[in-house]
Amino acid sequence: MPKFARESLTVDGVKTVVYTAGSGEPLVFFHGAGTVDGFDFAEPWTDKFRVIVPYHPGYGESGDDSTFTSLHDYVMHYLELFDMLKLDRFNLVGLSLGGYLAAKFASEHGHRVKKLVLIAPAGITDPKHPMLDVIAMPGDQMPGLLVSNFDVLKKRLPEKIDLDFVGERYREASTTARLLWEHPTDPKFMRHLHRITMPTMIVWGDEDKIIPVQQVETWRKFIPNADIKVFKGAGHLVHIEKPEAVEVLARFLS
Amino acid sequence: MSALRFNSMHFMPYAHLPENHKELKSVWVDFSNRNYDPDKGYDLYQRYIKELVLADQLGFDAIVVNEHHNTAYSMMAAPNLIAAAVIPQTKNARICVWGTPPNFMLPNRLAEEYAMLDVMSGGRLEVAFPLGTGMEYWANPINPATARERFRESLKIILQAWREDGPTTHYGQHYTYRFLNPWPRPKQRPYPPCYIVGTGSPETIEIAAELGFGYASVFVTKERCKELNDNLRQRAGHHGHTIRPEQLPLLCFIYVAETQEQADREYTVHLQRFFEDYVRTTPHYLAPPGYLSVDQLKTRAAAADKMHGNFDLNLLSKAFFISVGTPDKVANDIGQWSETMQTTHINCVTHVADMPHWKTVKNLTLFAEEVMPRFGSRSGAATRVAAE
Repeated sequence: MPKFARESLTVDGVKTVVYTAGSGEPLVFFHGAGTVDGFDFAEPWTDKFRVIVPYHPGYGESGDDSTFTSLHDYVMHYLELFDMLKLDRFNLVGLSLGGYLAAKFASEHGHRVKKLVLIAPAGITDPKHPMLDVIAMPGDQMPGLLVSNFDVLKKRLPEKIDLDFVGERYREASTTARLLWEHPTDPKFMRHLHRITMPTMIVWGDEDKIIPVQQVETWRKFIPNADIKVFKGAGHLVHIEKPEAVEVLARFLS
Repeated sequence: MSALRFNSMHFMPYAHLPENHKELKSVWVDFSNRNYDPDKGYDLYQRYIKELVLADQLGFDAIVVNEHHNTAYSMMAAPNLIAAAVIPQTKNARICVWGTPPNFMLPNRLAEEYAMLDVMSGGRLEVAFPLGTGMEYWANPINPATARERFRESLKIILQAWREDGPTTHYGQHYTYRFLNPWPRPKQRPYPPCYIVGTGSPETIEIAAELGFGYASVFVTKERCKELNDNLRQRAGHHGHTIRPEQLPLLCFIYVAETQEQADREYTVHLQRFFEDYVRTTPHYLAPPGYLSVDQLKTRAAAADKMHGNFDLNLLSKAFFISVGTPDKVANDIGQWSETMQTTHINCVTHVADMPHWKTVKNLTLFAEEVMPRFGSRSGAATRVAAE
């Protein structure tokens, strides 16, 4: 990420790597349960925003903390980090598991979130349209499920899958398992979603094979004023498949 | 040389794989139980229990049962039930439940069941605690990512329940006991001989070393077994324990027949089915997320890459503890292994895969009558004296 400056912080004992670029209002991005898709998609945002991309503990370049066993541990981690970065109020964008985390953060600490964007967010318990149990999926089957047009993701994957790559994916899957093995979703999460009252946009690809796009209806029910954008022909990683999605949400945040 | 101890270990496989089973990527986890025919299961239980009882009658020092889930590899989802069925039919053999993963049972309940078996058997129980294979974590609702810390906590509770007069309390990460006071208590004081059973991850070795437990390694190469036994001795020393030779059971596959040619002909096909069909599963099932450290995952993935190739008994026998042949050959192998590995405890797998009853009986009998006496074991004492 050429434009971004890398900073390694220790947040309550946990090594936390944060990438920052651009100037303007702060925009924090929460990545999902894996980091192979990278963050280059966020570069257009840096024209208007100070973009802050932290790696969650247990993912990418951040360190591990085996005591993080619930999403709440991540909410507390980010309260600490945002205080350290003196981020009082900011825009928050979350993808997939990061969307679940962003929505949870916003429902608990709404006064700190100026605007919220959820990209194919996890977290909804919908027996009719359940999320794919990604923990049960073998890793080699995942890339094909993440996008509609595989070429978009292919160029972000290494040409040769080596042991280090496999080990890194296993580490991220292990972090996710620590959070979600027993309970992939928490039914109580939805009970507090009505507390999300800041301007909110929800972005989805209509060919999402991980979290069915039909779940937007549940989000609509709990956050009636949310601006919902569904992109045709896009899968779970709608933000890398459809660059216009990145533009649309930047306009919304402006 | 000191006398050796011999166990007869059984997996109790469901030996009727469907015709198309070669197409299945795994006979574990997702291998549908519609393939299980209870009538065939009944016959197999009858037969396998007879084979365990026969081992006692022939003078084996111990019989070993173990636990697996969602698989044709083993019909012992609850090995304590098998132990309970076998106890009244046996007199001398130690009853080894090696064992129930504590993570899949409430710790007080496991302490109780083991104590029951120990009392019921007049103090013949031995226990080995496995973390459980990766496959078991897909079958049981326990998080593999927190399994090792839960495992440690379970062991602490079980040992506390056995060692200390109840009621005691336990307030931990995974369990809370306000009245830990299980009845009955084990007959053997303070508790039956205990082992950790596993494939030798540094984490489980460390637990055995801390507690002064033995370590029953399974499915490790000779090279790895040596390394693992040495590590355990060294780490146990660090914790102030001395590991005795009988605390290092050596798992081996044994088949004895009149001639080498006959042994090969009678046994090889079953061993091949064991390795090719009954243990077949996927890397994903072997290592659910969080089950292994990243380093261990990479080590095992690298080792698995080298294992590809067709079944070759000679190659396998070089790498693993497998002895197939005449009593002379088998006795010679065992003598060498016990010296190299510095153990007096030989844990023999005497039945594999779809081996028929007659071969199992023959194997058990020839081994007990022709091999064991050479090592001063119980059944062989008289023969040995006569020979001298």
